[in-house]
Amino acid sequence: MEKKSFIKPRTMSAVKDFVCVLPALVFLGIFTYYPICKLIQISFTDWNLLNERWNYVGLKNWIWLFNGSGTKHLLNSLKVTVLYSIGELTITLLGGLIFALVFGRLNKSFSIMRAIVFMPKYVAMSSAAVIFLWILNTDTGILNYLLNCVGLPSVDWLGNRNTALISVLMLTGWRAIGYGMMIYLSAMIGISRDYYEAASLDGATAVQSFFKITLPMLSPTTLFLFVTTFISSMKVFQSVDILTSGGPYRATEVFVYTIYKYAMEDFRMDRASVVAIAFFVLLLVVTASTFKISNRSVHYDS
Amino acid sequence: MKKMLALVLTAAMGCTLLSGCSGGGSTGGGSTGGGAASAPTTAAPAAGGSSGESAPAETPAVDASMYEVTEPITIQWWHSLEAQYADVVDQVVSDFNSSQDLITVEAVYVGSYSQVNEALVAAHAAGTGLPAVTVANTPYVAEYGAGGLTEVLDPYIQATGFDIDDFGKGLVDASSYNGQQVSLPFLISTQVVFYNKTMADELGVTIPEKWDDMDSFLEKASAVNNGTTERYGTVIPGWDQWYFETFYLNNGVKLINDDQISTDLDNDAAVGIVNKFKEWCDKGYIYWANGTDASSIMRQNFIDKKAFSVMHTSSMYKLYTDKCDFEVGMAWLPGGATKNQEIGGCVLLIPSKNDQATKNAAWQFLAYLCSKDVNMTWVKGTGYMPTRNSVLHTEEGVKFLEEKPAFQCIFDNLDLINPRIQHPGWNQLATIWKNYMAEIMIEDVDIPGKIEDMVEEINEVLEDS
Repeated sequence: MEKKSFIKPRTMSAVKDFVCVLPALVFLGIFTYYPICKLIQISFTDWNLLNERWNYVGLKNWIWLFNGSGTKHLLNSLKVTVLYSIGELTITLLGGLIFALVFGRLNKSFSIMRAIVFMPKYVAMSSAAVIFLWILNTDTGILNYLLNCVGLPSVDWLGNRNTALISVLMLTGWRAIGYGMMIYLSAMIGISRDYYEAASLDGATAVQSFFKITLPMLSPTTLFLFVTTFISSMKVFQSVDILTSGGPYRATEVFVYTIYKYAMEDFRMDRASVVAIAFFVLLLVVTASTFKISNRSVHYDS
Repeated sequence: MKKMLALVLTAAMGCTLLSGCSGGGSTGGGSTGGGAASAPTTAAPAAGGSSGESAPAETPAVDASMYEVTEPITIQWWHSLEAQYADVVDQVVSDFNSSQDLITVEAVYVGSYSQVNEALVAAHAAGTGLPAVTVANTPYVAEYGAGGLTEVLDPYIQATGFDIDDFGKGLVDASSYNGQQVSLPFLISTQVVFYNKTMADELGVTIPEKWDDMDSFLEKASAVNNGTTERYGTVIPGWDQWYFETFYLNNGVKLINDDQISTDLDNDAAVGIVNKFKEWCDKGYIYWANGTDASSIMRQNFIDKKAFSVMHTSSMYKLYTDKCDFEVGMAWLPGGATKNQEIGGCVLLIPSKNDQATKNAAWQFLAYLCSKDVNMTWVKGTGYMPTRNSVLHTEEGVKFLEEKPAFQCIFDNLDLINPRIQHPGWNQLATIWKNYMAEIMIEDVDIPGKIEDMVEEINEVLEDS
């Protein structure tokens, strides 16, 4: 007679599944969820990164952020980060699409040109930022030299409130546009030629085909690019750190740089943690909203 | 058409990529450092190790054997001395390594003072990856001391008979916290005015001794034609409040009041100084250097004779004299009721979380780096000031002045060089202050409103620190 197992096969299967994902869960727990919990704990303390000891201060840091001198800087960071994100999204999506249309021919010379356009993506951000420091130097930079050559005055690219963020976006655009182009190109190749042939038979022009076929069929790719670019643009740090250090007078102080400044320059880990949590929640809400909206407006070729 | 457009865009992207391969466009040199300047050497295990200092008559109150190095050990020294000083660093470290058998020092260039600070604070919080000895910019001493990051050096000083009294009182105070010696003065500088002496002789202009005489000085020293500045009278380094804070202090402004929780930056004297700076900026007499490349722009303006003078750290003396094709003069900053100045540069400290064997080895090296002979090596190889009284008042001091006569203005006023303001919220105050100052000087803003906002923010930071 066959011995009956005490554990149901279904439960056994569930346990096996759990054991399989356990290493990943442990990893996530240690490196993602524990730091998040710790961050929340620190936000209720007065820890300054140097001291071994700290005290619980209740909602003091949260009051500072939402009803104290921190509010002004939070709003400034929010404004700067949103402006930067809009800039990067525009460059990556619009620029990428235009470049994809321009460089869309499948022959060898275009292939080489595409490689050149995409190449900046391979350059480390820190190295690229140092190159741009030279290019944008007020006195000796090549950009001002070119402006002077055509009779325009020099611009204090990194020292002026109105041009500093644009300067950071120049660097971002130089690196990101090739990436956007490649993603759009690969999506364009995937669009069935049948649609274009049918449209052509119906007498559609190239412009009509683009707006009625290409653009809608690219919407999943646009969503992908939008979400990934948006999240990465909200987390921008390196280029700001090297090019402007958040200046002039906080004009390029994006969220992550603000967090870094509070923690590493001011030694205010308590304040850095409340800003970090606020930032985390904001990212979560915006990303969730994006997916919700996209469900209604993205077309899939199925 | 499409192909042409594609070619143009490709060329633009490619050129930008290639521009990184060309030579650097930045001038003036030395603003940010290059690669690491490590100088590791090996030393055979053997007995012995010396502090490099002779013991004074006083009896140590601690057990000296606790601070001896008994086993071979390799330690790291973090520094901020850029590539231009690599030879001096290599020489000093190599001399130390060959002077004894137990300790091997590896010098590691970490970056600017703020980069050292970040690395150090992160290592301290993690409790690992700490250097045995590190440099630290002078304003950090209070925060590090308050946070327990630094080892208290008094027992080591007593145990080894290190002659701390040979440093000036200001230097000892600047490297102490709460009456405890938490670091030692290392590369010390102060604020000075570098000016074009050749041009000054031609124009018959001298650097004013008083803030009140700045108007007439700037009128003569600058050249403004139809609203366009051809030559600035002076350049104020707005990227660091250290360069303009003495104007406030010498005119009776308390940056931090006695209550330690408020600032006087909105009193009449302080507002008067802001208005004067703004007036000079608007007239084109002064240039408020701000932004990432502000330092190189300032230096280049001076080198190109587009600025009559610049306010900078005395440690830049060598760079200016090397780069300028005219005689460079050095003068004390214009004062007010007083003419005090503040210490700049860096101290050396031992992180407290190191084990005792590392700390003992670190102390031996630290004492060596701050010893009289090695101090003179630094002075000669860099632009920093001598830190030892015994150097200043000896033949070596006279010889130093013969080689660098411009330093006379510093030697004449050594007693007026004071420690930096020590307050746990100082760095936050400084950041807020310099940001607002730059905005006021560069943009067209409501000055009283900005000062009010700034003071409110600073008071909040001081109260909460």
